[in-house]
Amino acid sequence: MASILKAQKSNAAKHDSKKRKIADTDVVDDPTPAPKKRNKQRVLLLSSRGVTHRMRHLMNDIEALLPHVKKDSKLDSKSQLHLLPELADLNNCNNTLYFEARRHEDLYLWAAKTPNGPSIKMHVQNVHTMDELKMTGNCLKGSRGLLSFDKGFEDSEWGRLTKEVFTHIFGVPPTARKSKPFIDHILTFSLLDSKIWFRNFQIIEKDPLQPNGPPQTTLVEIGPRFVLTPIRIFEGAFGGATVYSNPEFISPAAVRSMIRRQQGGKYNQRKDAEEETMRRKERRQREEDQLAVSKVFA
Amino acid sequence: MPSVHPSSKKAAKGRSKSVRQPDSTDSEDYDSDNGGVDEKGMERLMSALGDDGLDEFDRAQLGLAVGSDSEDEDDGAESEVGEEDGEDSEEEVGDEEEGEQGADDSDEGMGEAAGGSSAQEGDEDSDGVDDAEDEEIALDELDGGELDEDVVPKQKVEIDDTVAMQRIRETIQLDTKMPWTETLVLNYPETIDVDVSDDLNRELAFYKQALHGANTARSLAAKHNLPFTRPSDYFAEMVKSDSHMERIRQRMLDEGAGIKKSEEKRREREGKKFGKQVQIEKLKERERGRKEMDERLKGLKRKRGDMLDKPADDDSFDVAVEDAISDRPSKRGKPQVSRKSRDQKFGFGGADRRSKQNTRESTDNFVSGSRQKGRGPRGSGPKGSSSKRSSGGNKRPGKSKRMASRSK
Repeated sequence: MASILKAQKSNAAKHDSKKRKIADTDVVDDPTPAPKKRNKQRVLLLSSRGVTHRMRHLMNDIEALLPHVKKDSKLDSKSQLHLLPELADLNNCNNTLYFEARRHEDLYLWAAKTPNGPSIKMHVQNVHTMDELKMTGNCLKGSRGLLSFDKGFEDSEWGRLTKEVFTHIFGVPPTARKSKPFIDHILTFSLLDSKIWFRNFQIIEKDPLQPNGPPQTTLVEIGPRFVLTPIRIFEGAFGGATVYSNPEFISPAAVRSMIRRQQGGKYNQRKDAEEETMRRKERRQREEDQLAVSKVFA
Repeated sequence: MPSVHPSSKKAAKGRSKSVRQPDSTDSEDYDSDNGGVDEKGMERLMSALGDDGLDEFDRAQLGLAVGSDSEDEDDGAESEVGEEDGEDSEEEVGDEEEGEQGADDSDEGMGEAAGGSSAQEGDEDSDGVDDAEDEEIALDELDGGELDEDVVPKQKVEIDDTVAMQRIRETIQLDTKMPWTETLVLNYPETIDVDVSDDLNRELAFYKQALHGANTARSLAAKHNLPFTRPSDYFAEMVKSDSHMERIRQRMLDEGAGIKKSEEKRREREGKKFGKQVQIEKLKERERGRKEMDERLKGLKRKRGDMLDKPADDDSFDVAVEDAISDRPSKRGKPQVSRKSRDQKFGFGGADRRSKQNTRESTDNFVSGSRQKGRGPRGSGPKGSSSKRSSGGNKRPGKSKRMASRSK
């Protein structure tokens, strides 16, 4: 086995060195005409104040999965998002994932290219972290995950843009310092119900039930999983003109207030009905008859 | 605000219309707001009429949508004044429109950065953005503004500026000539088309997507000389710690044990249900057997009633009894007498020829012969033969049995 690894490594190294020779000469700053450009990405990962434990764990999971992520401390203020590009610049990052928690229950995710944009604001729902015992897969820490996008992303322009941004942010560049040489997990992004569903699977080459059988790929979910609803896409980093807004998005606060109003409405309706019944009852009561028993036998 | 050529603006407007079209529900809502004017039809008409027609359309629509603003728009359709007006109202609208001015700036900045030939194009694009939003704003004002009493549209402003998005995408796009190993991106050639609330099928669809990705990635990796499979002797830190994996394993074991346990319990329960039936059957069988036995014995007694008095014939009686009893179920629970004791009792070989003969004592002994088990001489009297049966086993049947036999 070790020999195979060595062979694989040497192969890769040969391949790499060829590439690097070219890359070293060309990639200095921003070589537009460079024939072989390296994918250089670094992602700043941070959250706002007021994240709950679940959101924090989700962030930790993402940090564990993506070796090119630099995690920063929580951002103090929610209104001054323009600080973020500077912060990313200080950390030598050209992407930012910013988790914004509102009301300690709603989580929004900003995925932005800094410093020039664009930035995508999304609402995060159905968060399951890797700590859950139902997800039994495991993978190397820092191995480069595959990215799989379904065809739905190609159907709309915002989908294509989102795909591009996600490719930058979630794709681990080969040059990432902590990355490991093998591929053992796959991140899937699927567009369903105009939401983006994220899953992470471990790739198992051999069926554990029949170790001597033919190699057959099976998948086991590692986690985390979450669903993103795109809200808006801005032209700049954390600001700028809106180039896309999702008309179907209803803010979670609005949903909650609607539910509350419905509940309140039920109460009001009942009370109204009760009143109405009373009124009708009174109206229907007969006047006292002249020949009533109480009058006749007074 | 950059001054705009009328023609370019019109073109942009046309584009923004076509942009809005894909969202069918939106356009329908829009139509209903406009009092049933078929937007597509109108657009087709306008395109047929050309630029002049578009102008009219513009005016007509603005007249429909914005009551007060229409004056401004009417006297000079594309005048600078109208533009200014529009911008003023924009600032009131809020958030998304607030960003619009920024859009202009950044657009221009970007255009300049891109440099040269594309600058002009960028400018035009940004105008397109403007215009699209101008219309949106008109709609927005309609939402929140003066006409609120008449129309209550619940529609949100939708922005879908494909041109701008495409431009943005092109600016940030990674080099397309980059080898696959740099990004590891895979495209799944199918759309996920399942019911959202159907958990099982939905997850299955995701699984299929991932599986397809994994398989294509393996072949691609082989093509690019990228190490894919982790050798079994390559150990490194994993995402989940060993203790966590141990917990997962424990949980799986527990789950398996729980399932097994519940299954066992279920089977037992079913067995019990069935076992009860078996028990009842057994009891019935026993009862039946006993009845039959009684019948047989009774019949025997009736047949041999006269014989009972004759002591000489008791051997044949014994045989008859044995015959009657022979097919009796063996579940009586009566311990079988061992060979040894039987030998002792009945004799084996030529032990003592005269041991079974009557002696003087036995002849004289009237009382104990029947009571003493197996010791006394047999057939010593009429009593002896009758007591033979009782001496073999229990002396007196239980009360319930006696009552049962009496009732017969």
